[in-house]
Amino acid sequence: MNVTYLRIDLVRQLRDGMYISFVIALPVVMYLLFGTAFGASADVVGRGDTRFYVMSAMAAYGASVGATSIAASAAMELLQGWGRQLALTPLRPPAFVATKVVVALAVSAVGALAVTVVGAATGAHVSALWVWIVTFLVAWLGSSLFALYGLVVAQVFRSETAIGVASASLVVWAFFGNLFVPLSGTVQQIARWTPMYGYAGLVRWSQMQGHSVTSSQVDPLWLLVLNWVAWAAAFAVLATWANRRGRARQ
Amino acid sequence: MTASAPVLSLRGVRKVYPSSPAPVVAVDGVDLQVDAGEIVAVLGPNGAGKTTTLDMVLGLVLPTAGTVEVLGGSPEMAARGGRVSAVLQSGGLLRDLTVGETVLAVAALHRARSRVEAVMERAGIADLARRKVRSCSGGEQQRLRFALALLPDPQVLVLDEPTAGMDVGARRSFWETMHEETRDGRTVLFATHYLEEAQAFAPRTVLVDHGRILADGPTAQLRGIVGDRTVLATVPGAADGVLTRLRAVPGVREVHRAGDRVTVNGTSSDDVARLLLTELGGRDLEIAAPTLESAFLALTGEGQAR
Repeated sequence: MNVTYLRIDLVRQLRDGMYISFVIALPVVMYLLFGTAFGASADVVGRGDTRFYVMSAMAAYGASVGATSIAASAAMELLQGWGRQLALTPLRPPAFVATKVVVALAVSAVGALAVTVVGAATGAHVSALWVWIVTFLVAWLGSSLFALYGLVVAQVFRSETAIGVASASLVVWAFFGNLFVPLSGTVQQIARWTPMYGYAGLVRWSQMQGHSVTSSQVDPLWLLVLNWVAWAAAFAVLATWANRRGRARQ
Repeated sequence: MTASAPVLSLRGVRKVYPSSPAPVVAVDGVDLQVDAGEIVAVLGPNGAGKTTTLDMVLGLVLPTAGTVEVLGGSPEMAARGGRVSAVLQSGGLLRDLTVGETVLAVAALHRARSRVEAVMERAGIADLARRKVRSCSGGEQQRLRFALALLPDPQVLVLDEPTAGMDVGARRSFWETMHEETRDGRTVLFATHYLEEAQAFAPRTVLVDHGRILADGPTAQLRGIVGDRTVLATVPGAADGVLTRLRAVPGVREVHRAGDRVTVNGTSSDDVARLLLTELGGRDLEIAAPTLESAFLALTGEGQAR
C-alpha cells in the first residue's frame, strides 16, 4: 500500500463537508430518536441498559454506512476512468482494495465515535469501561466488512446509483442484523445467514454475550465470527474480481 | 535492447467483444512491428479499432487471439513498470483532486516523486498545481494526462487521440510539446483521425478500418495515395463530350456529373481547372484538398467506402 496515495485519497474524502456531516449526523439523530423512545426506563440489559444497547446498534449502523458509501464512491472513480489510469501504475487490485478499506475505516471511525460520545453524554450505561472500548473498537473495525460490500456494489452498478443502492440495501441488512427491531423465530433463523448479523452480534457481545432481548436463543461466539469472516471473504473476492474487470474500457 | 528486437510486436491480434445479437469484432487480425525510436500514427475513423488496439498494447484489454509483446515481455508488465505509458482518450482523472495532487498521487505509485516538478514544467501545467481538475479546460486536462504519462520516464508513449476536443491553438501547442519529448528517442504510437496530425508528426502511418490494417508505410507515401484532389465546377449544358475531354486529362481518376455540376477526382487539379475555365466554360470552381475519406476511397475502392 502506498502511503502518499492513501493520504491524498483520504484528504479528498474528508474535504467533502456535506458528506462527512451526513455520516456523523445520521447515526447520532437515529440514536437520539430510538434511544430516548425505547430507553426511557433504565431497564437492565446484559451488562448495561437499553440506551447503551441502542447506542451500540447505531454506532454499528453509522460505521457501516460510512464504510459502505466511501467504498461506493469508488464507482465514480471507475466511471471517470481512474481505474484505467491506475492500471498503468504498479498499484495492483488487492492494494487498491486495501487502500479503499483504510480510507473507509477512517471515515467510519468518525461515525462510530460521534455516536459513542453522544451516548456517553446522554447517560447510556454499562457496568465497566472496557465494554465501552470493546464495543467501539468492534463496531469500528468490524465495519471493514461493509467497505468491501460497498466496493462490490459500486463495481457492479458503475454509476452514481451505486451509492444509493449500497446505502439503501444496508437498511435491509441492518434490519436482519437485529439493529433496529429485536428479531425472533423464523426471521431470526433466516437473519443468521445475512451479512450484518455476525457483525452486529459481535458489536454487542461485550454487553449481551450472544443473548437476545426478545428471544431465548443464544448465539455462540463462533457462529458470529464465522458469519463475519465468511462474508468478508466473499466480498473481498468479488471486489477484487470486479476491479480487475473494471480495467477494461466500458 | 538490441536493434533487431522490435519495441512493439503484434501478431495475428483479434479482439471480439461478446454482444447480442452478434459478437462485435473490434480488431480483426492485426500484425504490427514498431522499432525503437519510431513515431507511428494509427489513422482511422471512429470505430476502426484504434482504441482497442492501443488498449491491448497497454495490457488493459486481453486479445481474443494472437500475441502482443511490448519491450520483449507482456504488455501488463511493461505498463506496471512504467516502461510504457499512455495518454488515455478520456476520463482517467479524479475531478475533485487538484492538478498537483493528481500528479503527486501517480508519481508516488511510480516512486518517481523526484520527477514531479520537471514533468509539470514540461507539460506546461506548473502554474495549475492548485486548480481542481473539474475546473480545468479540456486542453489543460489533456496536458495533465500527458504529465502523468511522462512521470515514469517511459520508453514507449501511447497516445489515444490526444488532441480530441482541443481547439486549434491548444492542438498546435500540444504537438509542439510532444516534439520536445521525442527528441530523446522515445517510441511513440498515437491514434488519430486527423490526417494532418499524422502528416505533421509521424514519419510512419498505419491506416486502419473495420479492425484491419489497410496500409502501413511512410506517411509521405500515404500522401501519394491520397494525393487526389477534387475539382468541382458548374458547366452549363455539360454533356458527355465534356466528360470525355476531362477523362482524357492525364492523372484524372474519376469524373461525375449531376445536372450542370461536374466533379473530377485526380492528381492533376491544375490541368483540370485550366481546361474547365478556359475551354469548357466552367464557373464556380472549387478545389478540395485530400481528406481521410479520399484516402479510404483510394484504398478500399468506392464500392466499400463509407
